[in-house]
Amino acid sequence: MTSTLIAILSLTAFGIPITLAVDRNARGPLLIGSAFLYGSGTMFFVLLATSILHIRWSLISVAIVALLIFCAAAIIARRQPTTDNRQRAASAHAIDLITLLTITGYALYATLAPLWEWDFWAIWGLKAKTFLESGGIDWRFLESRWNTFAHPDYPLLVPLNFDFIALVNGGWSDRWLGLLFVAWGIALLLIVRGLAARETTSFFAALLTLTLAAVAVSRYVGLAEGALIAFGGAGVLFIRSALLDDDAACWRNGALMLGFAANCKNEGFALLVAVTIAVVTVSWSRGLEVLRLRRLWLAYALAAPWLILRAAHTLPTDIAGGSAFSRLLARLPYAHQILAFLAARLYEPWFWMAILAGILIAPAAARWRERFVFLVTAIQLLFYVAAYLSTPHNLRWHVLTSWSRLTGQIAVPITVAVFLMLANSLRRGQDAPHAEARSDQ
Amino acid sequence: MTIARVTVRRALTILCLAAIVAMCVEARLLQLPFVDRTPYARAMAIYPDRQWPGYPRFLVGVREHTRPGDTIAVVVPAMGWDDGYSYAYYRASYFLTGREVLPLATPENGRIPQNLRAANYVAAFGVTLRVPAGVVWQGERGALLRLRK
Repeated sequence: MTSTLIAILSLTAFGIPITLAVDRNARGPLLIGSAFLYGSGTMFFVLLATSILHIRWSLISVAIVALLIFCAAAIIARRQPTTDNRQRAASAHAIDLITLLTITGYALYATLAPLWEWDFWAIWGLKAKTFLESGGIDWRFLESRWNTFAHPDYPLLVPLNFDFIALVNGGWSDRWLGLLFVAWGIALLLIVRGLAARETTSFFAALLTLTLAAVAVSRYVGLAEGALIAFGGAGVLFIRSALLDDDAACWRNGALMLGFAANCKNEGFALLVAVTIAVVTVSWSRGLEVLRLRRLWLAYALAAPWLILRAAHTLPTDIAGGSAFSRLLARLPYAHQILAFLAARLYEPWFWMAILAGILIAPAAARWRERFVFLVTAIQLLFYVAAYLSTPHNLRWHVLTSWSRLTGQIAVPITVAVFLMLANSLRRGQDAPHAEARSDQ
Repeated sequence: MTIARVTVRRALTILCLAAIVAMCVEARLLQLPFVDRTPYARAMAIYPDRQWPGYPRFLVGVREHTRPGDTIAVVVPAMGWDDGYSYAYYRASYFLTGREVLPLATPENGRIPQNLRAANYVAAFGVTLRVPAGVVWQGERGALLRLRK
């Protein structure tokens, strides 16, 4: 356990200068939360790059590369001008104690036993263990026809984070890897807390964090969901802030987080596309679409290496296998039945009903203000439905084994948007510095 | 009339906000620090291998008696894909990283006899095989056989 904790703390320390290089004004929970995510995301690229350069993974080789990045980021951060801090500090609240208790409960759950999920030892953990033993990414393993069950096309951020922990540990152990999922969840909660403090009171920011304490973490410990929820959720929320504030640091943060999300799962890349479409849509009427699109280039730059590598090694994607389009066309006439099945199998339906009710109850101006998050959620849902329509697997099996995970991936941003709409409408904007001033994106 | 409408909206807003919070707060996580977690830990520890609890120990033995690069085919009592073979094959892949684990069945329950011929070893768990092979190691309800070619 100690080595896993040391690895997580190292990733956070590694991420601090990177966070400050992106946003010199980051402070408090926003700084710590972002630092862990940047540390985790950058460590993936360190391991990916060393593997491509045929540098055998070892703690020393990885530490040297990480130190170089650390120093470069520190120099860039020092050169960044500090502006008067626009951020309202996120102050502690008594509610935080309940949030802390929830996180403690999750940490105990995630570390009950060695990671037990089928997909951990058949996909994510299997790849990490294989790569660790070969001292780098084992392309022969990924290309083997006998290993297609491990989904060779899936991006490698999560397995390579497991490998970093194993390097710190001095060998493979799946006993305490669950702590990594706690760290991803806490990082997202800290970012939400930091961003919410800019828009609402300490009470509502604390209540929102408590609300998300069990939503920002994944029940599926060992799968990439935990990382995707954290990077994807942070990315969408930073872009939301960027659109509301036209804040350059939020654009950079959002783009980078979405780029990392694209390296967690294929759904992360779909999320990047959904965000791109939503940004263009909300910016169209004001003629800002090209300018704002350019601000997402970092996300695509981070997503590109894995897309190129997987194409170069012709790693197959099961959804796209065979004729996906003809499968989609064949199932389209039954779309209403499939949608009904999805509705019937919706995990936590009352939660989604409450979210829907919140959207309907909120003032129209607040709804308009949050249209970016609604659009992203709707587009991502459409992508999920399209994937189900074109799946080569038994549709019923595919839905039953993935639908609850997929809806969990998109729950955080829409919960934040609806919660803040309702909370700020209750306060009638009295204390919300941006609630009225930023009514237009 | 306006006041009444505003009040109704306010009441609905409070209700909705409370509902969202209530739906999201996870009572089981709040309780977990205060309950005896030993039974949960025990259940989770055996969860992946509930069908064949001794299988991981057998795979550890196979790993100890093989080397990286070896090819190993797996034989278990259930050779139907969804009856247990997929579990046995995937689980062996995890425990035997560095070796190449070859399946003998397909997801459609077809047989892949060429993989038996291609393998250096057969790891037979819970079954007795009658094939031309030498026993490399025996234990944990199974045997590691080196095929004579």
